[in-house]
Amino acid sequence: MFAIRKFAACAVALGALTATTAAIAEEKPSIVTVVKVTGENWFTRMNEGVDAYGKENPGVATSQVGPGKADAAQQGRLIEDLVAKKVAAIAVVPMDASALEGVLKRASQRGIKVITHEADNMKNTLVDIEAFDNKVFGARFNEKIAECMGKSGKWTSFVGSLGSLTHVQWADGGSENAKKYSEMELVSEKNESFNDANRAYEKAREILRKYPDIKGFQGGSAIDVIGIGRAVEEAGLQDKTCVFGIGLPKDTGSYLESGAVDGISFWDPKDAGYVMNKVADMVLKGEELKDGMDLSVPGYEKVTVKKGAGDGVIAVGQAWVDVDKSNYANYPF
Amino acid sequence: MEFRVDRQLAFLAVVNVAVLAAGGVLVGASFLDIYNLQSMAGQVPELGLLALGVMLAMISGNGGIDLSGIALANLSGVIAYLVLRDTVSPDDAPLMFSWSFAGIALLVGLVGGILNGFLIARAGLTPIIATLGTQLFFTGLAVAFTNGSALGLGFIEPLDAFGNTPVLGVPLCFALFLMIALILGIVLRYSPFGLRLLLLGNNAKAARYAGIAEKRILFLTYTACGVLASVAGIVIAARTSSVKWDYGNSYVLIAILIAVMAGVRPEGGYGRVICVVLSATSLQILSSLFNFMDISNFFRDLAWGVLLLVFLATSGFDAKAWFRALRG
Repeated sequence: MFAIRKFAACAVALGALTATTAAIAEEKPSIVTVVKVTGENWFTRMNEGVDAYGKENPGVATSQVGPGKADAAQQGRLIEDLVAKKVAAIAVVPMDASALEGVLKRASQRGIKVITHEADNMKNTLVDIEAFDNKVFGARFNEKIAECMGKSGKWTSFVGSLGSLTHVQWADGGSENAKKYSEMELVSEKNESFNDANRAYEKAREILRKYPDIKGFQGGSAIDVIGIGRAVEEAGLQDKTCVFGIGLPKDTGSYLESGAVDGISFWDPKDAGYVMNKVADMVLKGEELKDGMDLSVPGYEKVTVKKGAGDGVIAVGQAWVDVDKSNYANYPF
Repeated sequence: MEFRVDRQLAFLAVVNVAVLAAGGVLVGASFLDIYNLQSMAGQVPELGLLALGVMLAMISGNGGIDLSGIALANLSGVIAYLVLRDTVSPDDAPLMFSWSFAGIALLVGLVGGILNGFLIARAGLTPIIATLGTQLFFTGLAVAFTNGSALGLGFIEPLDAFGNTPVLGVPLCFALFLMIALILGIVLRYSPFGLRLLLLGNNAKAARYAGIAEKRILFLTYTACGVLASVAGIVIAARTSSVKWDYGNSYVLIAILIAVMAGVRPEGGYGRVICVVLSATSLQILSSLFNFMDISNFFRDLAWGVLLLVFLATSGFDAKAWFRALRG
């Protein structure tokens, strides 16, 4: 008896839980963007791009999902269910590319088109989209530092960790560029901040003590410039040092204002989200991605297409955004 | 002893069916097709095995819990791969690689479990503190061995088949999970060890006066938790073709949620394996349903919370007495 009663109670509870968001049957192909985690500014911004593409192209349905916690396992389960649901295309920003190879392989076996972003070592993807070439990106930082410090003096570079491939590529791209200027001297390169602003701060302080005449800092992880900026600010060296690196406008704003950080670069996740969906749509329509193609999104007007780690291709844009004190407020993330 | 259908079990079975039915209605036939059923079944073992470990620890009483499960699972995978990487080629001898991988992982789980057992049974540490410590220790070791990056195993056919291929319609890893659950259920129900464990969890003092070897039982229990964790580690490695220290960092709490939803008494002395299995499957079906319906994952966390509260409330709520009182 109680089982029946409980069944009724349970059915009511479930109905209440699900009724609010009842699924609408949709016939058009759906492109689902899977991000690392929901609720982070970066991916909230990406969602804008995903929605924008869906709005402009009524032929497809776009949506973005992501786990509530940044966990490769949760992301994998999410994709597992999307594969079972048999959506038309999945666009993923992998938490951990190697943990997703299996499930993405099953996805393509089921005829689902797979697009990735920030995963140029991924095998089971048709197109991996990179905002820019990492070496070039690093060289650009260095060029700005060189200009700011008058092409002479000591400078150093930071990385999140030596295991973070892209960070190391940026640092290497920077040091290669600095070779052009014989008077620039690279000291104690690739300091590891372990993606911790406090560690970056401690490291920067150590370096300022060891090399009081240091002029340039190149940040690696997105929070490096925050730590470096704090150390520079405390030492009162805002006007004597040049700090450039990847960073987010909201986090770095106060240091840009004080001049402790001179400029930051990043790529706009909104554009990346838009491009992922656009490419997914192209793949669904059977259009080919060609070298030098114009995807008509800022920074992706002339993408370089090269062979990927698996059967797919990697499309590389020049989608960096540089901001300084004057215009960082235009980017709300 | 015959098979008992108590209210918890009936409730869980009903929830499973209800959620499946709700999926069929709300999503359509694609939710109930064989591919999705297999896909959901394949996702259960990782968490289910960890939840079985939590259940064992909880039954033992005295605030028993195992927080180190997923950390040990990842560590077993990491060590097994690191040992084999240079000795056995997965391309030349895939079968040998897979079996040795499983063997080494189980060994690591055994050692990790023994460490937990030693700390709790012999050194007398509170389980929550001891396993929190070993959780950090196992995680730290895995980070140190891998420098924090993921290690890809590549495509190893037997391992991949174990993780992803259904045999006679049932994913192998799910079949293994059911088999382990069955064995555990029989041990808990019919073996002297199971009886003693339940008695110990019910009333440690009485058990001690009755001559039950408390330390030995606790030691064995936590060792078993470690072995279960390493089986989860093998499943994870097989399904993701990679090992990493922070995989499943959200699993600790979900495994506890599954155990509590299954009616395992957090204060010890009671817990049924079949309820844990049904609890794990119902959570999986519900979570897949939400994914099918594009419902936010935060909402899912909320729904799980609601479900947990409903379970806790109904488990202490005697419906018959309530209705009798109502009728006056």
